[in-house]
Amino acid sequence: MVQKSDFQRVDKYIWELPKATRDDMRVPARLFGDAELFDAAFRDRTVEQLANTATLPGIVKYALAMPDFHQGYGFPIGGVAAMRVDTGTISPGGVGYDINCGVRLLGTHLEQEEVGPYVQELTAALYRACPSGVGGKGRMRVSERELNELVTHGVKWALKRGLARQEDLAHTEEQGCLAGADPSKVSARAKERGRPQVGSLGAGNHFLEIDVVEEVYDEEVAQAFGLWEDQAVVQIHCGSRGFGHQVCDDNVRGLQSAVRKYGLQLPDRELVCAPIDSPEGRAYYAAMACAVNYAFVNRQVLAMGVREAFEQVLAGKVSDFDLFQVYDVAHNIAKFEEHEVDGRRMRLCVHRKGATRACGPGYAGLPADYRDVGQPVLVPGSMGTASYVLVGTQKAMELTFGSTCHGAGRVMSRTRARKTVSGADLRKELEEQGIVVRAGSNKGLAEEAPQAYKDVSHVVEVVHGAGIARKVARLRPLAVIKG
Amino acid sequence: MDRHFEEVEHTADIAIRVWGRDPAELFAHAARGMACQMADAEGMGQTIERTIDLTAYDAETLLVAWLGELLYLSERDGCVFTDFDMLEVTPSRLRAVARGGPVTRHRQHIKAVTFSDLEIVHTDAGYETTIVFDV
Repeated sequence: MVQKSDFQRVDKYIWELPKATRDDMRVPARLFGDAELFDAAFRDRTVEQLANTATLPGIVKYALAMPDFHQGYGFPIGGVAAMRVDTGTISPGGVGYDINCGVRLLGTHLEQEEVGPYVQELTAALYRACPSGVGGKGRMRVSERELNELVTHGVKWALKRGLARQEDLAHTEEQGCLAGADPSKVSARAKERGRPQVGSLGAGNHFLEIDVVEEVYDEEVAQAFGLWEDQAVVQIHCGSRGFGHQVCDDNVRGLQSAVRKYGLQLPDRELVCAPIDSPEGRAYYAAMACAVNYAFVNRQVLAMGVREAFEQVLAGKVSDFDLFQVYDVAHNIAKFEEHEVDGRRMRLCVHRKGATRACGPGYAGLPADYRDVGQPVLVPGSMGTASYVLVGTQKAMELTFGSTCHGAGRVMSRTRARKTVSGADLRKELEEQGIVVRAGSNKGLAEEAPQAYKDVSHVVEVVHGAGIARKVARLRPLAVIKG
Repeated sequence: MDRHFEEVEHTADIAIRVWGRDPAELFAHAARGMACQMADAEGMGQTIERTIDLTAYDAETLLVAWLGELLYLSERDGCVFTDFDMLEVTPSRLRAVARGGPVTRHRQHIKAVTFSDLEIVHTDAGYETTIVFDV
């Protein structure tokens, strides 16, 4: 068992577990947090799982946990691990089941008071336009051939179909298409599950929100992102639905035999992996990239639903009902990126599981209008609290392979949340705060109660203080739609 | 054996500990435990019957495949399976009949069955394991 005393404090926000702590660790592990969050890491299996991550073949520098960490399966949530491409491994458990679960932020040209009178009506229209709930089906149907195109080309496919604008592409991580997707590596079952679900939110912690920009911390960057105080914005949080779950499931099971074939020693079977440069590793990457692209398109179709709903409700009532895309970013992904390791540029396979890419200014993958300021980082808070827009930093490039937190991070199990929180009371509380709520069930609402999460503002203060992203703006919800 | 399954605390996901006198009972109890997480299983109809035949690399992989198959069929057919006839369970092969019905009261959506620290342990009383579900 890893103990608190095994860690060395590097600075105010970084705690390092030396490689020598366990025989099987290949690199040290680093946990980001202040003293309070560090203590919290020992209340569940976070540090054990972080140490396990440090045993993966080919991992470079550190196994990292962002300050919204908590126990997951295989990797901890908030986990970041970068592997050498020549001798390293790729792990489906290091990405998770909801591949490219992520967030899209849309900006309006409206102030809160212009939207205020229509929030009820907008919420009802959004609820219709963006189907949610368990097994929820999307509004569009695609044939298998279309699905193959969709997962190969991502948002470019949506653009061709008239479901996206050129600027949506530019303002999406990887321009909405992770290269290397190959639908022939995806099972028939994943495709069957994915076909009816394009353009659906799903259940769990996924949501759609109308928010208001409550506070701006950095005027210059906010302006570059098109954000201003009192502005109404929309957040979409969801992933690759049954398609991604099945891709992960197929590969976590399928690669169990590869572990033996390649003589890999793993402390947890969920860390199952294969050499990046092997038929199994390449096949997983090609399938995962399909799921990444599916999720980008899913959020794209939902965004078009949001635009439609705004037009339906607001046309003729406000000066400009259109929504523009601030950014779309993944929280669960593995990607090839170049980073500096010990003074050398290296191509690495960066796994982010419940972590967000946070590139600093000048990063080549950023759209021209954001290149001077850095990448928008979208951090949704727990339901009814706050969400944050941050910006990536050079320091994140140096310390965390350009990664930062992805949310508040849970502290309470869903079961305990259901037992201690009444969904009906919570709904009332939210409504008393003036937040319009549309949720599939009170139970689902209770599971996502703010008490079940860390304080997102605390997590954000830590990443800001540590310099692995900077605060740009805080959002407060006006309406929440949940599956 | 009195104990079939119980819920175990997990910060983000859900986990159940399962017991069985033999592998077949362990697999049936695991499936029943999963159903109880998905829906209010008491008094549910058994109008849908599916025959399941799976092979796998080892016993743990078979357990994940079995529960994953039930999840898939639940999503596809809009039901939850609560009753199981285990016809054959060896470490690499499973044949079973699962019965269930449409759900009136959902509890929670399970995305997937994980391998997180998954190990089927042989005890004096039979078999035991803990399964973590991604929700």
